[in-house]
Amino acid sequence: MGSNASIMLQQEDLQNICQQTGFTAKQVQRLYSRFKTLDKRDCGFLTREDLLCIPEVNINPLGERLIDVIMDDYGENNKINFKQFIFLLAKFRRGRVKSSTTEFNTRDSKLRFLFDMYDRNHDMKIDREELLQVLKMMVGGNIHDDQIATIADHTIGELDSDGDKSITFEEFCKTLERIDADDKMSMKFLS
Amino acid sequence: MYQNKHSIFLIILLGFIIHKYYCKEQTYEHKPNKPLRFHVAEFNFDHVSDVYAITLWILLGSLAKIGFHLSHRLTEKFPESCLLIILGLIVGGLLYVTHLTEQKAYVLNSDTFFLFLLPPIILEAGYFMPNRPFFDNLGTILLLAIVNTLFNTICIGLTLWGFQFTPLYGGTQFEMLPCLVFAALISAVDPVAVLATFSEIHVNDMLYIVVFGESLLNDAVSVVLYRMFASFANIGQPNIIVMDIVLGCLSFFVVALGGVLIGIIFGVIGCFTTKFTEHTPVLEPLIVLVYAYLAYLTSEMVSVSGILAITFCGMVMKQYVSFNISKKSDATTEYVLKMLSSIMETIIFMFMGLSTVSDSHSWNTGFVFMTILLCLVFRVIGIAIFANIANCWRLLELTRIDMLIMSYGGLRGAIAFALALVLDEAKIARKKEFVTATIAVVFFTVFIQGITIGPLVKLLNVRRKQIEEPTMSAKLTNRMMDHVMTCLEEISGSGGSNSLRDRVRNLDRNYFKRWLLREPPDRKDIKLLQTFKKINTLTAMRVHDTARGLVPSASTATVQQGIPEHHHLRSHSAYGNVSELIAANLPENTVPDLMSYENHEGEHHHNDAEMHHFLDTNLYSARPRAAIHLRNQDETGSSDDGTHARFEKSYHHRDQRYLPTRLERELPHGPKTISKTVHNANRPIALKNLSPKHTRSPPTTHQQPNPRSRSRSIAAHQHSPIPSGQRTKSISKDSRISPLASTHIENEGTGRTAAERSRPWRHLSVTEETGASSSKTANIPLGNGNDPNLHHLPLTVADFGGTYTKSPEYMGEYATTTKPEEPSSRPDVRDIFNKQSEDVSEQQDDGSTESITRL
Repeated sequence: MGSNASIMLQQEDLQNICQQTGFTAKQVQRLYSRFKTLDKRDCGFLTREDLLCIPEVNINPLGERLIDVIMDDYGENNKINFKQFIFLLAKFRRGRVKSSTTEFNTRDSKLRFLFDMYDRNHDMKIDREELLQVLKMMVGGNIHDDQIATIADHTIGELDSDGDKSITFEEFCKTLERIDADDKMSMKFLS
Repeated sequence: MYQNKHSIFLIILLGFIIHKYYCKEQTYEHKPNKPLRFHVAEFNFDHVSDVYAITLWILLGSLAKIGFHLSHRLTEKFPESCLLIILGLIVGGLLYVTHLTEQKAYVLNSDTFFLFLLPPIILEAGYFMPNRPFFDNLGTILLLAIVNTLFNTICIGLTLWGFQFTPLYGGTQFEMLPCLVFAALISAVDPVAVLATFSEIHVNDMLYIVVFGESLLNDAVSVVLYRMFASFANIGQPNIIVMDIVLGCLSFFVVALGGVLIGIIFGVIGCFTTKFTEHTPVLEPLIVLVYAYLAYLTSEMVSVSGILAITFCGMVMKQYVSFNISKKSDATTEYVLKMLSSIMETIIFMFMGLSTVSDSHSWNTGFVFMTILLCLVFRVIGIAIFANIANCWRLLELTRIDMLIMSYGGLRGAIAFALALVLDEAKIARKKEFVTATIAVVFFTVFIQGITIGPLVKLLNVRRKQIEEPTMSAKLTNRMMDHVMTCLEEISGSGGSNSLRDRVRNLDRNYFKRWLLREPPDRKDIKLLQTFKKINTLTAMRVHDTARGLVPSASTATVQQGIPEHHHLRSHSAYGNVSELIAANLPENTVPDLMSYENHEGEHHHNDAEMHHFLDTNLYSARPRAAIHLRNQDETGSSDDGTHARFEKSYHHRDQRYLPTRLERELPHGPKTISKTVHNANRPIALKNLSPKHTRSPPTTHQQPNPRSRSRSIAAHQHSPIPSGQRTKSISKDSRISPLASTHIENEGTGRTAAERSRPWRHLSVTEETGASSSKTANIPLGNGNDPNLHHLPLTVADFGGTYTKSPEYMGEYATTTKPEEPSSRPDVRDIFNKQSEDVSEQQDDGSTESITRL
């Protein structure tokens, strides 16, 4: 599979990608083959349905939201091609030493991704409605609406320092300083 | 220091007294028969001797622990385990001099150790095991526990044996198999010692769990190796066939997996049992303890690893039992476990010191030093090798410093000692040397390493454990990160720990929770809700604590005496304050289901110190939350009639309750009672079924069934805030010096925010009340402003002023010095309230627009 994939990926592209993202050639090839597996119709891009076919993503409460983010922010027209795909994943490469940190996998960009998970209208604020939506997805079940609302209000109250009833990116980052977001938002890419 | 000396003297004295009585008793026995007469009282020590000795031991241990902790300097420098061993040595010396060591209750006997002393410690460790770090690092832990222990055993054993050909041991011969037996018991890191030491140095979770997990899980390996080599030694070196070795290797799997399996089975049965304990909640803690102990005994009976069994039993039970049993039982279970393990640990270390003083020693300098050296060297080598191997798959790699701490934290302890004691001297001729060497190693690790590891951790700047306050945002984002990473791992096809965890979680939710919980959760993310509940409780407690001094107590007289011409004006400002007061008392009870106040009594009890830290630091940040809840109530009230009626009713009811409370009770009781009783009436289920018709029933009916529960609630509450209060007192001396100043601070702080809080609610009552329930408004005296619910409480500014001056001690205690720059002169109370009422009216405007837009 690996060798197959490497043929289909242009050597030049490969080098380019490696340089920009910090992936090793092997990792890129592996991701490429994964991309091909997901791309069942073999048309060079992934659609929303392709991603939803992965059962774990399908049942994940935030799966659809994540795909929204991927498609809107990283792909175009509800499609994502391989280059976009790999730039997306480059965010989650672990930058353990300074040299392996690229513009993609800084702590800031990881937090930005998380922030985007809430902020769907891109106004750089998480407002109450957006938070409510995410909470409903995560808690789900038959919980009463006002309970969810309470939680949302509470959360905003925790983070909101300037009293505008919404969370800006700075406020978001500040309260998450205690969490090792950097470690948790990283994964090991097989090579 | 001085007190400590004191307590040591006391203990020595105690020892003498015991000795004296004991000897007396023995001489009594040998006396010739006296003529038979009736005795009014008899001295019958024999009857109770064993139990008496044990109880005295426990007492001595506890007193020693209390004594040590009286002196801060002592416990800062030396770990508790060291002090206990020293104490044990002293007592042991005394007993040795007085020849009491022959009495069996006074020496560490390995049966006592393994059957009584060890299980509680391990159970506690398993029950409080931080699951997430444990499973995140499971690979590393297993590698270290299994392979590293094996490596250590073989290397230490063979090297020790190899050195007998040099003149190092002074000509003493050691055979190979006994050396391996000895190596098996000496190379296992000891959970008790690790717990005792690491709990004091607070390294980060990852490092702690790697070392501690290794020490727990290596038990299987060391048990197998020990037993295997011991039986090989029995069989005799020439008679061993390959089959024995193969069987030995196989037995490892049986011992390890069998232990885990037994633990899980008993854990599951335990959880299942607690499904049905609704009517006998007092037995719930016992169920946990008994099943865990049974798991341990069963696995010891079938000779698999008891430590693994009880660890896993504890871990399984913790997951489900706490959902099933009442919060009180939960707190009790946790407390009992902590208590038992703490006292057992104390006794173990004391016994270790004690048993050192005996005749069965044979000091062989070369052997002892070689053992210590080899233990250290191979520990370092082993960690270096295997940590590097583990780094191949670890996301968060172990650094050099981590490895150093890991190898330095490889403490040996009482398990090794107890195993050395049970060696059969007939088969293993050098038992005495082994025992001595074991004691030497244990003392070396506990004393030298145990004392120096704290400074070392500081020196190397190892990442410490952060004490986190639970915040909703952090929890939510953590959860989100988990979900995102799971999805991305699946998408990228590199299945990692996240997707594994997700699978386990799904399995748990779909099957185990369904079978084992009384009420299977129908929500996706119960942890999220739990966190919210917890935060809410903390906030509620905080508000409740701070609001104590605000409640008018002896002011009813002044209320009635209110001067008529000022009445109107005052009531205006007063009612803002009353609603604020009530809001301050009850911000968390307004939303059903999440607010079960009672449920958290136990937790609050147990988290006292933590909570107060939280409270102290969050005095101001917490208030907007309270505002939020009320606003919410506002929304629900307007969105459906039932909820509104519920709210109205609970408010009214609360109000009714409020008056008699004020009349009857001392100051601190008032708010507690209120929050409690309203909670009772506010139970989610009751509320869901609440019909508007019900709401109309006079509030007194709700009050009647409650006096008992009310008084109980007071009792339950009363003991808990006391120690915390004292703590606060000692911290914030400033606030005690000028209670009035802090009163002012507090007052302003609560005043402002509480006014905000009351605002939307007031808006609701104005609009809703007039439209929906006209029959109600008919009852309301008009003089009290437009708030119908406050007609029972014509409070005035003077009341508040009176209260503040009357209860400076409460204010002093709970007001923190967060704003030291506040003016320290006595504030003009009326000014504050006037300002507040202005605030209220000011904010009311935007409040109303706000709620309208939201509606």
